[in-house]
Amino acid sequence: MNVSTRFPMPVAAHSSLRAGIGLRAQHHADIVARKPAVGWFEAHSENYFAAGGAQRSYLTKIRTDYALSLHGVGLSIGSTDPLNRGHLEQIVTLVRDFEPMLVSEHLSWSSVGGRFTNDLLPLPYTEEALRHMVTRVRDVQDVLGRQILIENVSSYLQFNCSRLAEWEFLTSLAKESGCGILLDVNNVYVSARNHGFDAHVYLKALPRGAVKEIHLAGHTARRIGQQEILIDTHNRPVCDAVWGLYAAALERFSEAPALIEWDADIPALEVLVAEAHKADAIAGVTHVAAA
Amino acid sequence: MLPLRDLQELFYGALFDDAPSAVAPWIHCYETDGHEADAAQGVAIDPHARLAIYRNNLHEGFRKALALEFPVIERLVGEDYFRQLALSFQAEHPSRFGDLHCIGEPFARFLRQRFEDTQYAYLPDVAALEWAYQQSSVAADAPSFDPAALRNIPQEGYGQLRFTLHPACGLVRSPYPVMRIWAVNQPNADTDEVVDLSRGADFILVRRAAEGVEMRRIAAAEFAMLDAFSQGSNLADALESACTVAPDFDLAETLRRLIALDVLTGIQPTSRPPPGEPPS
Repeated sequence: MNVSTRFPMPVAAHSSLRAGIGLRAQHHADIVARKPAVGWFEAHSENYFAAGGAQRSYLTKIRTDYALSLHGVGLSIGSTDPLNRGHLEQIVTLVRDFEPMLVSEHLSWSSVGGRFTNDLLPLPYTEEALRHMVTRVRDVQDVLGRQILIENVSSYLQFNCSRLAEWEFLTSLAKESGCGILLDVNNVYVSARNHGFDAHVYLKALPRGAVKEIHLAGHTARRIGQQEILIDTHNRPVCDAVWGLYAAALERFSEAPALIEWDADIPALEVLVAEAHKADAIAGVTHVAAA
Repeated sequence: MLPLRDLQELFYGALFDDAPSAVAPWIHCYETDGHEADAAQGVAIDPHARLAIYRNNLHEGFRKALALEFPVIERLVGEDYFRQLALSFQAEHPSRFGDLHCIGEPFARFLRQRFEDTQYAYLPDVAALEWAYQQSSVAADAPSFDPAALRNIPQEGYGQLRFTLHPACGLVRSPYPVMRIWAVNQPNADTDEVVDLSRGADFILVRRAAEGVEMRRIAAAEFAMLDAFSQGSNLADALESACTVAPDFDLAETLRRLIALDVLTGIQPTSRPPPGEPPS
């Protein structure tokens, strides 16, 4: 028994890998009042950097009833600036205070020269970038004293100096740094369409044991001239093609809990819960088929 | 091979239009027959259109975050003008934080430079009020004032006391009725009232109550005292500031009330020598 924890985990959250949903402030009161039937919640770390006040107090209440993961969007882990120690210290504090089951960051960078875009910008997949990411991920894991997951991002361009495919880069990063992989199936789909690779090749290349979480989200198609590019907008339901890719991912990564992300034009809580239940249904079918 | 550092600098510069073409040669171009996207080859759009997607994300993400912190400013100036303001503000004050909640700190100052001496001179004060509101909502919690803190302090030493304000307290003053402007521009405010800018100055205390952030207009003398405390003044000096504004200022009543409201939550340790030791 872990006597140090302040959050005895409810049995339901422990005993299943039911899908979770991204935690948004609009839903705080609803979640506390109604305790929806979802497996867990994922909070954007930066939304809870507050030292006190209502947001933090809601997170404490929600954490009492559910398992939690902390998903960072601002550490800029791939930047060549020195690692942002102040930002990392705030994550350390959150991890200490909320005892998340998973902590994740992105395969991207967002700042240079101390100036931040607050976006998830793509890296070139070079040997130099791989060495850099391995060092940075190790540093972050050392400071946190635990494994982190690194998530693949949607991208709208590729650098012509890249020598590795994204899935090769991510696999090497996981092997060499010891990090896990947060596989965003929607991002794989978006990037596959934008850059012309086979999403199934991507999934098959990732090592089975390394994928510890799966993200599902909606995207938007934008026309530019005669072309159509997919943008990772997180503002609508998961599309059928991405549900199909999720089912394929489950064949390899059936232990990885899924999470529904919805970050813009946020609907009522019920809509997100229904998406999570849809993910559960797909996972259930797969489990039966595999048995 | 371009070092990663150089690529990131070129890319950032391209997003801010310093040199949009400098990074383009490093962006992969897809073969195309000029028509439909070929699934095996990727979407055939040129590097500048690709960069434009990231540039749009950069500006839209910043604007949305700013609008969340300053909804009244957005409502007062309208969405289109707010978009322009956000662009200029971002160019002058690009985000320096991994946390987008921090970008609004210089916004009131930015608006002051722009609108001072214009008919919109109230805008920076409204922005200061909105920022104080946001800061109050995320500030640290603090325990209430403990009367035991005064136990070993002789009454003649009270003048040297430095009271501390609750971290969630903010002070905003304006020659304009900014609190009324704020109130009639709330989403749930059912009013077409046009606020008369000549109706006078506001001295506002922002604090966090059990139900959330609360703003209240307070007397100028009380504001002067709290302002003095927030800058580290001792009680004697803070009282003098208050009495300069209102000679009949009731110190005892004001302190009692502010302690009961959890506005004053403690006293700073003083450098006063312990009892019995002669002052050096």
